[in-house]
Amino acid sequence: MRINDFIRLSSGTINAYRMRSFLTTLGIAIGIAAVVLLTSIGSGIHQFVLSEFTQFGTNIVAINPGKATTYGASIGVFGTDRPLTLEDATALRRLPYVTAVVPAMQGNAEVESQQRRRRTTVFGVGPEMLDAFQMKIASGKFLPADNPIAPRAFVALGSKVRDELFGNNNPLGQLLRIGGDRYRIIGSLESKGQFLGIDLDDAVYIPAARSLEMFNRNSLMEIDVVYNDGADVDEVVASIRRIISARHGRDDVTITTQQQMLDVLGSVLNILTFAVGALGGISLIVGSVGILTIMTISISERTGEIGLLRALGSTQTQILLLFLGEATILAALGGIAGLIIGVGGAHLLHLAIPALPVHTSWTFVFLAEALAIVIGLLAGVLPARHAAGMDPVDALRSE
Amino acid sequence: MIITDVLRYTFTTLKGFRMRSALMLLAMAIGVAAVVVLTSLGEGAQRYVSAEFASLGTHLIVVLPGRSETSGGAPNMLVGSTPRDLTLDDALALTRNSSVQRVAPIAIGTSNISWQGREREVPILGSNSELLELRHWKMNKGRFLPNQKIDNATPVVVLGSKVRNELFGAQAAIGEWLRIGDRRFRVIGVMATEGRSIGIDVEEVVIIPTASAMSLFNNTSLYRILVEGKSREAIPRIQRFVINTLRERHQGEEDITVVTQDSVLATFDRIFQALTLTVAGIAAISLAVAGVLIMNVMLVSVAHRTAEIGLLKAVGASSRQVMVLFMTEAAMLSLLGSAIGLIIGWSSSLLINSLYPGFDAVTPLWAVVAAMGVSLSTGLLFGVMPARRAARLDPVQALSSR
Repeated sequence: MRINDFIRLSSGTINAYRMRSFLTTLGIAIGIAAVVLLTSIGSGIHQFVLSEFTQFGTNIVAINPGKATTYGASIGVFGTDRPLTLEDATALRRLPYVTAVVPAMQGNAEVESQQRRRRTTVFGVGPEMLDAFQMKIASGKFLPADNPIAPRAFVALGSKVRDELFGNNNPLGQLLRIGGDRYRIIGSLESKGQFLGIDLDDAVYIPAARSLEMFNRNSLMEIDVVYNDGADVDEVVASIRRIISARHGRDDVTITTQQQMLDVLGSVLNILTFAVGALGGISLIVGSVGILTIMTISISERTGEIGLLRALGSTQTQILLLFLGEATILAALGGIAGLIIGVGGAHLLHLAIPALPVHTSWTFVFLAEALAIVIGLLAGVLPARHAAGMDPVDALRSE
Repeated sequence: MIITDVLRYTFTTLKGFRMRSALMLLAMAIGVAAVVVLTSLGEGAQRYVSAEFASLGTHLIVVLPGRSETSGGAPNMLVGSTPRDLTLDDALALTRNSSVQRVAPIAIGTSNISWQGREREVPILGSNSELLELRHWKMNKGRFLPNQKIDNATPVVVLGSKVRNELFGAQAAIGEWLRIGDRRFRVIGVMATEGRSIGIDVEEVVIIPTASAMSLFNNTSLYRILVEGKSREAIPRIQRFVINTLRERHQGEEDITVVTQDSVLATFDRIFQALTLTVAGIAAISLAVAGVLIMNVMLVSVAHRTAEIGLLKAVGASSRQVMVLFMTEAAMLSLLGSAIGLIIGWSSSLLINSLYPGFDAVTPLWAVVAAMGVSLSTGLLFGVMPARRAARLDPVQALSSR
């Protein structure tokens, strides 16, 4: 049998029973559309989260006091008898490949200027924060590179604090009272948005040494080290470990690279996307039962036709292939329809709810289509074998 | 035509096409079983979390330092310090109310703990004698922290079972002196292996008096204060009391956040409910696919049984009766299918329960009703078109088609 004869025969029957084929295809199409739509939302969220994290740059290593435990994060942040100090930060700045070091401390205090008050987040940071976290100054300048142990009392405002306290007035040069101490405002930052629930705009930035004093703490919460693009992460981490071990007498910090964090997050989100896709896949199973049912019915109807084909000299393999082909074409058509519905639905959803990130990954699209074809093949095997195994004489007589 | 006739007729038809009926039942069953299992899992997870919270006591208030102007955002994001500390004296002040049952100040941090050359870095929890009752923990050996003045830094320590095993192995731990950071502490008790309760792994924790922890970490501020009320009704009153007292103590500035157990629980409930509904909704898509299948097969079967329908009409069946016959068939398929699905779903929930004791996967009634309802209504909805087609057949033509 020639290949185009084969295709004509298979598609001919599909064409002849239009309603039936349409409904069978619809079953598969709904399943595939569900899978595509759900995985699109899944990978959209995946991309969104990754971009949240990479907005600060990817070459960052975070150092926290205390060893990490099963909690994931180190609770040494809250208190430790082995503090991480400003001198540690200064020492790390001298390492090769390191382009910026930011000592970091976070707290919560009331700020006041000209009778206006606001409770806000206070970040104690170093002068290199702008470069390290890819933030921009809107007016004025950021904290100057003073002596890290005794910096002058300057403050830079987040955009929201600036708006709330000063409105349209110029804040530069004004005094700001933070938790009882007076600071001079030397700059305000451009809006950066939220990160993990912390609003970076609703914050003020003061020198780390002054924040330690204000909050009466002996240890920094974190030191962020930014390294050159070309440098090897492991080497940087090893050299950080060496310096800390030498200064503290032992290795007593948790070092997290941005890459590690991204990897962990990425794998978690991938599992989630996959799980959601699998849930949608339940409808695919039901759809495959549909193909099985319709093929079984259609073969019992066409017993005479099969008998005739066999009498004319078709081999069993040809009959098998013919019916397998029919099942596969049904499934593949359903798959394509489902893809169109799914991708279209994803984009419509994005138009309707712009906040919901949507991204259709082509690997998933191809996987879904391949899955549909495999389902067609599997569902077709049983009925096709039944058809191929028929005795030609009996089959002809049944007419 | 009486109802038993309709049922008997439908049943005979379904039995006549065994393979086909079985496949349709299978399709419906898969859908219903998926909905039932997934909602059971969701419900189970929700119950698990609720039970975990209930083990903390339902009338609990957590006081944490710092406050954010823009509400919203998880309160546990407030990891920072404040210029005005939450002090031990603050905690003491909170005990002076008749509705307050217990107050436990909490300070946490990490430190090295060592005994005879064995050393380990562990999370240290500073608290007082009330914590044991408040968190419903149990002791394995010895006793918990002594009931003493809140600012007494007694050098005693209670170990989690895992820490105890790793440091002491087979030897007796009670009464030994061990070193935490640069201070010496005496072991007075070992916690029972109770596993993990929210936020703190009891097996891995080391508990010392709050004042000792604060001097160890050279820290003047508490991490949290846990306040337990005498009854659930007293909670709003206590909440006002806590805020007022601390504002007065902090020179009129409200620089704390107060979280009630109920609000946390309600948030979790909402999240889980939404998750369960979403998952069930996704699974319900398969019910629609099963509906399409039923419609397809019914259409085929109407085409096959043209002559039969003609005969029915010739002996006096009205269009309405033919329609009822076919609708009954669709409804019967959906109902039987969902019954099978329910059985499969229930037994898998039971299986999950026996595999993971402690996890209580219960099928909520609304899910059963919803799954049955959706499957029946899809069956009927998709049955309408084939049934109408059958009803509209002209008896003469239908009979002559043979």
